[in-house]
Amino acid sequence: MSAWFPQNISTYGADLDRLFVVVYYIVGAWFVAAEVLLLYLGLRYRRREGRRAAYVRGESWAQLAWVLVPAVVVLGLDLAMDSMSAPVWSRIKEQRPASGILIRGTAKQFTWAFAYSGPDGKFDTGDDRDIENELHVPAGENILIDFRSKDVIHSFFVPTLRLKQDIVPGRTTRIWFNATTPGRYEISCAELCGFGHYTMRGFLVVHDQAEYEKWRAETWSAGKAAS
Amino acid sequence: MTMYAATDGAVPHVAGSEPSSRWARCIFSTDHKVIGKQYLGIGVFMAVLGGLGAYVIRWQLAWPQTAVPGFGWVPAPLMYEGVVPPEFYAALVTLHGTIMLFFAAMPILLGAFGNFALPLMVGAPNMAFPRLSRLSVWTLAVASLILLSSFLVPGGPASAGWTSYPPLSADPLWTGVSWGIDLWLLAVALEFVSFLMSGVNFLVTAINMRAPGLTMMRLPLFVWMLLTAAVLFMLSVGPLVAGAVMLLLDRNAGTAFFDPARGGDPLLWQHLFWFFGHPEVYVILLPGFGIILEVLPVFSRKHVFGYRAIVWSTIAAGALSFVVWAHHMFVSGIDARLAVPFSITTILISVPFAVMLFSMLATLWGGSIELKTPMLFALGTIASFLVGGVTGVFLGSAAIDIFLHDTYFVIAHFHYTLFPAVILGGLSGLYYWWPKMTGRMLSERLGRLHFVATFLSFNAVFIPLFLVGMGGHHRRIYNPYQYEFLKPMQGIHELVTWAAIVLVASQALLLINVVWSLFAGGRASDNPWQANTLEWATTSPPPYGNFATPPTVYRDPYEYSVPGQEADWLPQTAPEPAGVP
Amino acid sequence: MRTVASPARGAGPAGANAALGALILLGAEAMYFAGLVSAFIVLRAGVSEWPPPDQPRLPVGVTALSTVVLLLSGYTMARARRAIREGRVDAFARGLAATAALAATFLAMQGVEWARLLREGLRLASGPYGGLFLAVVGSHALHVAVGLAAVLITWIGAYRGRFAADRHGAVTALQLYWSFVVGVWVPIYLLVYLW
Repeated sequence: MSAWFPQNISTYGADLDRLFVVVYYIVGAWFVAAEVLLLYLGLRYRRREGRRAAYVRGESWAQLAWVLVPAVVVLGLDLAMDSMSAPVWSRIKEQRPASGILIRGTAKQFTWAFAYSGPDGKFDTGDDRDIENELHVPAGENILIDFRSKDVIHSFFVPTLRLKQDIVPGRTTRIWFNATTPGRYEISCAELCGFGHYTMRGFLVVHDQAEYEKWRAETWSAGKAAS
Repeated sequence: MTMYAATDGAVPHVAGSEPSSRWARCIFSTDHKVIGKQYLGIGVFMAVLGGLGAYVIRWQLAWPQTAVPGFGWVPAPLMYEGVVPPEFYAALVTLHGTIMLFFAAMPILLGAFGNFALPLMVGAPNMAFPRLSRLSVWTLAVASLILLSSFLVPGGPASAGWTSYPPLSADPLWTGVSWGIDLWLLAVALEFVSFLMSGVNFLVTAINMRAPGLTMMRLPLFVWMLLTAAVLFMLSVGPLVAGAVMLLLDRNAGTAFFDPARGGDPLLWQHLFWFFGHPEVYVILLPGFGIILEVLPVFSRKHVFGYRAIVWSTIAAGALSFVVWAHHMFVSGIDARLAVPFSITTILISVPFAVMLFSMLATLWGGSIELKTPMLFALGTIASFLVGGVTGVFLGSAAIDIFLHDTYFVIAHFHYTLFPAVILGGLSGLYYWWPKMTGRMLSERLGRLHFVATFLSFNAVFIPLFLVGMGGHHRRIYNPYQYEFLKPMQGIHELVTWAAIVLVASQALLLINVVWSLFAGGRASDNPWQANTLEWATTSPPPYGNFATPPTVYRDPYEYSVPGQEADWLPQTAPEPAGVP
Repeated sequence: MRTVASPARGAGPAGANAALGALILLGAEAMYFAGLVSAFIVLRAGVSEWPPPDQPRLPVGVTALSTVVLLLSGYTMARARRAIREGRVDAFARGLAATAALAATFLAMQGVEWARLLREGLRLASGPYGGLFLAVVGSHALHVAVGLAAVLITWIGAYRGRFAADRHGAVTALQLYWSFVVGVWVPIYLLVYLW
């Protein structure tokens, strides 16, 4: 079943996937039990000559126990699942790594633009570079992105990172991730942003250390102007 | 205006003014039964349109940029010789949702079955405000026409999703749509007005006009569901109307409610929308459940299990529905600390629904079940809704929702809650009440076939969508195959589209059945199902004024297979336990 | 004992229907204003300088006066209803006339102040200030105007003898509506004008 998930290249992705699997088995058990019971009851109690239906109102506590006890068990499992979910949410959305590579992202109809601060490590200096639709990061390092939108609400979605965040115009939204595996992964927009919504495709390019140095050298070599 | 003028036990003169000519009756009738049938007509017509929209969407997803069979006649710029462009695709996605929720589901469950059954079930001759009823169906008709007119205006119909988030929806610059969204807002606002009027009628009729002996705890559960739905709607719709006024002003008066560049806040819309949006889905769901809760006891000849538990669960679910709304907004940019409280409230809502579902199962236990068409659809509703219910647990976890939000997993989830409630539940109600509404019987054989085809094809459409959602397939995408990671899913999309075509085509079985029934079907007796509730204590169809003699109620609606009784049913109106007609 | 609708309006089942129906619709109306008020709170709370530097201040003093006028109209409407409940048709008609006059005065005072604000540069487009004023205070004024029309129609009906002690369900509904329109103004005034 988890074969349906995309590859996971995110340090927090495994937590999210594991949570999904736990919920799957818990609700799956209830689901199967309920469907089997429904099927069984529908067949076992079919109308038969000479057999009359029972008369059970389900008003006494003894009878209601059959419904209320399972409901309480459901409640308990619900709260357990919520308590497992909270730390995963917190790790992805509330905590921020103390340090990392900061990139600026801009979402607009219908492209993703990324601004890199360059060798001086500072933004709004002459060595900044803007690259459309390509997010270049080194593997194994914390990446922080300050995202803004130029027009409508977009949503930065990288399935392999298990990361999604709506980018609302008028505010800067900070996200973070740490990609474990070099490769080229697709970015999509997950909030309807106009008729070109389906074309808002970008790439997360995760480099190993050597490749990353090479990319930096190429990008900031003399003659390569900011785009 | 009275229906019964005499109270001395003599045959009363049924007064009141129904127009005599058929055409005048069509337009001016204030009889709740006529009005209910008109709501059914509007709802089914719009559902067909919504279904055709889904067909085009499904075709495009399976075979992008090919001509959709049967749609070559749609003129540019909506479609180009049967090929749907991205703009119209976004409009179809928008209108499919809008039409199905506001112009099909609510008219069918609340407008049609609510208006038809409620006065009968409480023993009243009509709704409390008959002229308000008439006004409400006119209003819905006008609203529907306004929505449909948006296909014809420059810029085309609304295309910002049924959720219409600003800034996308606030400025024609972002969508290319100008009139279309204004007309959409107007149509939806009028639909709200129509159902506000209905809601008033439901509540006042049930509270003030019950037959003698019919206490609140002897009301059929369908009535309880309608009342809860009415209260939810009345209390939740206001904030969205406020939001709609603000969006109209932003669009047409240059105000800045949702424009962050001038001090507005796009998230304000989302809060107002979903504060309404979540109770709204229960407005739709609960009457669907109510129909099931009427059908299960009748066709298992067994008292419903846990009447009071179900009533309290309904009220609890309704109350909780007002405090879960931000689970639609986990990744929207709200303060991350809000995720935990809203996850908790969301998970709590599963408890009253668990009680209701377990009670439905307990009703079946020990029953004497006859698998007639209404019962098949009722059981199918439960079986399908279980999928919707359990998949909601994934989405209620904020962490898991980070991945699943705005993917096909969400689409599959809500189709597994709404379709069972509206279509399977609605069909259960249709097959159940058809004899009462028309005085004719539907064919059992065609009905069973209709059930099997609908149930199987529905599942074939939506189960695969969970899987592609888990693969990261995002929503409202005109051409998924722009993305490498979605290319492998085209095969699934093709299968789903074939299943969807079968689903739509299967509804022809209902059409055939309906036509056959009206022209050649057997005459229905007063009570072909031998059911206890008050609508079966009068003729099929009931006369104007509903009851020749005003009914008196002696017991709750579910006294089936009472020990010591020879018959396995005991109507609410039978005076003594021993005397059964 | 019958509980179906009877021809008698006012006291009795039909009157009870009208009152209950009005209360339910007013619940929905209250939520509409709650939506507007929460929008006001959200957008106002995000701004430190209110009114914004280039926008005119709202007329707190004059509106305090018009608030009193509106509150008085609530009183006259309540008295009118009590009058018809006791069968005193003349007092009923007088109460309606007084209510209509006070309501019209409220609207006129509001209108004059709005015209002045527009002359002084109240704008819809520069920020939420003008738009919120229009949406919240404008919605309320619309409700007063509709109520005024209903009061006038009822007044005419009073002269035609349509209402009696046992036949005034519409009046009950109207008075509930009027109390709502008056009552909802108080938090609006406090928030929009005084915050």
